[in-house]
Amino acid sequence: MSIELLILIAMLAAFAISVFFLKLPAGVSLMLAAITGALVDGEGLPVRHLVEGSFGFLEAILIISTAMIFMKVVDATGALRTISYGLIRSLYRLPLLLMVIITLFIMFPGMLTGLSSACILTTGALVVPALLAMGIPPKPAGALIAMAAVFGEIAPPISIPAMIIGGGVDMPYIGFGGPLFVASFPPAILTAIYFRYRFLKKFDIKEVLAKMEKPVYSNHGIKLFIPLIAVITLLIAERTFPELMPHLGIPLIFLIGTLIGFGTGEKFNLFQLMRSAIRNALPVMSILVGIGMFIQIMTLTGVRGFIAVTALEMPESVKYLAGLIMPFFGSAYASASVVGIPLVFVFIGRSEIVVASALALLAAMGDLMPPPSLLCAYAGQLVKVKNHFLILKESIIPIIMTLAIGVMIIIFSKEIGIFLSKIF
Amino acid sequence: MKKNHIIALLIIAVVLILDSIAGIEFREMKIQEKIHPTKTLTKESSLSEYCTNLQGKSGDAKIYFFDSGNLGATVLVLGGTHPNETAGFISALVLIENMDIKQGRFIIIPQACSSGFTCTDPMEGTPQSFTIETNSGPRKFRFGSRVSNPLDQWPDPLVYSHYPSGQQLSGFETRNLNRSYPGRSNGSFTETVGFAIMELIRLEKVDVAIDLHEASPEAPIINAIIVHEKCREIGASAVLNLEFEDLQYALEISPKKFRGLSHREWGDATDVYPFLMETSNPIQGRLRGKTNSILITDGLDDQYERAVRTKSFRISYELAGEPLSLRVGRHIQGIKAILDSYNEYSNDKKIVYENIPSYDDLVENGVGSYLR
Repeated sequence: MSIELLILIAMLAAFAISVFFLKLPAGVSLMLAAITGALVDGEGLPVRHLVEGSFGFLEAILIISTAMIFMKVVDATGALRTISYGLIRSLYRLPLLLMVIITLFIMFPGMLTGLSSACILTTGALVVPALLAMGIPPKPAGALIAMAAVFGEIAPPISIPAMIIGGGVDMPYIGFGGPLFVASFPPAILTAIYFRYRFLKKFDIKEVLAKMEKPVYSNHGIKLFIPLIAVITLLIAERTFPELMPHLGIPLIFLIGTLIGFGTGEKFNLFQLMRSAIRNALPVMSILVGIGMFIQIMTLTGVRGFIAVTALEMPESVKYLAGLIMPFFGSAYASASVVGIPLVFVFIGRSEIVVASALALLAAMGDLMPPPSLLCAYAGQLVKVKNHFLILKESIIPIIMTLAIGVMIIIFSKEIGIFLSKIF
Repeated sequence: MKKNHIIALLIIAVVLILDSIAGIEFREMKIQEKIHPTKTLTKESSLSEYCTNLQGKSGDAKIYFFDSGNLGATVLVLGGTHPNETAGFISALVLIENMDIKQGRFIIIPQACSSGFTCTDPMEGTPQSFTIETNSGPRKFRFGSRVSNPLDQWPDPLVYSHYPSGQQLSGFETRNLNRSYPGRSNGSFTETVGFAIMELIRLEKVDVAIDLHEASPEAPIINAIIVHEKCREIGASAVLNLEFEDLQYALEISPKKFRGLSHREWGDATDVYPFLMETSNPIQGRLRGKTNSILITDGLDDQYERAVRTKSFRISYELAGEPLSLRVGRHIQGIKAILDSYNEYSNDKKIVYENIPSYDDLVENGVGSYLR
């Protein structure tokens, strides 16, 4: 047995013992797994590496904390329930269309920012009351939001995993629109169809609306939506007019949205909302700190390379399936960087942009997977399901379907590339 | 005091102690290496001479001038554009510490992205330094990040829009010097560094500029010389001459649509003949195994050996490894071939220099033999 495999087993065992037997939080368990890996490799306690790794997701942590505060404010002003109420009341006669629109709606922030977490924390949070009120149980509702967030991360115009893969093979982010559309919208619509027919039963619109919190539009009018409009406008403006618009960064944009929230709807106590938001986001933030350490030690000890080369060693007949290892890195960005880039070379001679887009889709599934199961953890908080692995369990069928679509896109990448070149 | 408050205070104390230990290590990266130029050094300057906005900043990279006093060509060599591409930096040092200039002028920037030498990349697990044995004892050099330190430029945008083309790249590339040319004096930190280098090329009337890089063994362009189309012939002649010496280099023409790179922007915006060279560096690769300072110097990696055997795709990795001496040797021999070729094509301006080791010297004696 190679030392790298031994280290990997020791790290996974330490994580499992810590989570399942010691009942420690996932973030702390990841840190312990990282320390275990370093000790088994004879690195001792590499303090610098652990601290450095913990900064790997600093920007994501800042985004999550500020986005959570913003969403609490939008919730408190009444904008959230007003949108959910309006969505259901206008589309309840067409449940399939309603589910598709809800899915695309959740994807929207991810399409603009390239961040799956932005989908869950903004539009995902907006539709939760509507989904639950329509009778969809909390676990599937969370699963739908988590899956839509993955598709939002991949959908054009902005897909960070595709950019990471492209950057690694010196491929500028040009011409990705069509391939990313193919890799994101069809699985998103199929997922919406799956949840529609599996979980959405007939409902009495009057009962549903009666269960929902009442809209406050009549009290506050259009100004209720100003914080949301401001955040979306700033996000789009920063990307569309980089020459004119100072670079604010997403955390600052969310904070600006938060401050704009004053006076736009119902009254709220900002200090209390901030405490509550940070308290809610803390487990996820600690997971991100832990996963940064975990990846740093995997790289330091050679486990990361070992996994990537193992994927390449798969026999010719199943080399397409090598992409299926990507989600198991537990992070879209890590997966795109570690396995996505080498795999583009494996499939060289096909349409590289289409291959990179499909690999980005497979990589993005990593945000759903353990150890961190980041999107499931977020979604779990929204639908109030404590064990976020239950959200993952509800997502298994759409995950398998999406993985199959990703592999099919790689297999037919050449044909898809030719087809897309005729359209765009 | 409640029990959970005591536990919280204890955790904070432990975190502070660990952060302090790490902080001491991080601060060590601010200590610059001592460089020992030869007596033919005529001037030492820095990039702020060409863009005052860099004054007092960590992007104010040092510049070494070797002027023969005899009219001839001016050659610029850049090392450390990417501080994790060690052979570029060390090759520039070999030039500085051995140069005897006879005709024309050499301008050498060994750590072009000096900010990137002050940090490493999170989750990459790389060492902060490595040691080379020299005749005067061991010398320690920093191994940095591919891009500028986030303490100098932060936060990254989601999408980096290159100035002035508007080309879009991943937000991380906003701190990549070799995506920031032609830069601007009032732009981002990295754009300012790029602008200063462009100004240097213009004001010093540089004739030939060579940017020394490395890439992961699986990169598509590796062991290559990349040229702007206007100096294709010089590049082709250099590659041919290297082939006669049993050294294989691919000749690549700079893609016109890929903006921000030295070989494209230097050539488009100035009269210089730009070249960029790449060697194969396993510590940069995504497939690498155990990541430590020995991998930088010896270039031997178990996982790349496995990857090569899969024959899944082209990987430029020799089973004997890709040691630093060999990679520096390739860069130095490549520079010599480019300048020989330039001298053949140039009627009036020549560059003549002595005492620079050859590829064979470096591989045989080790790079440490040519560092003071």
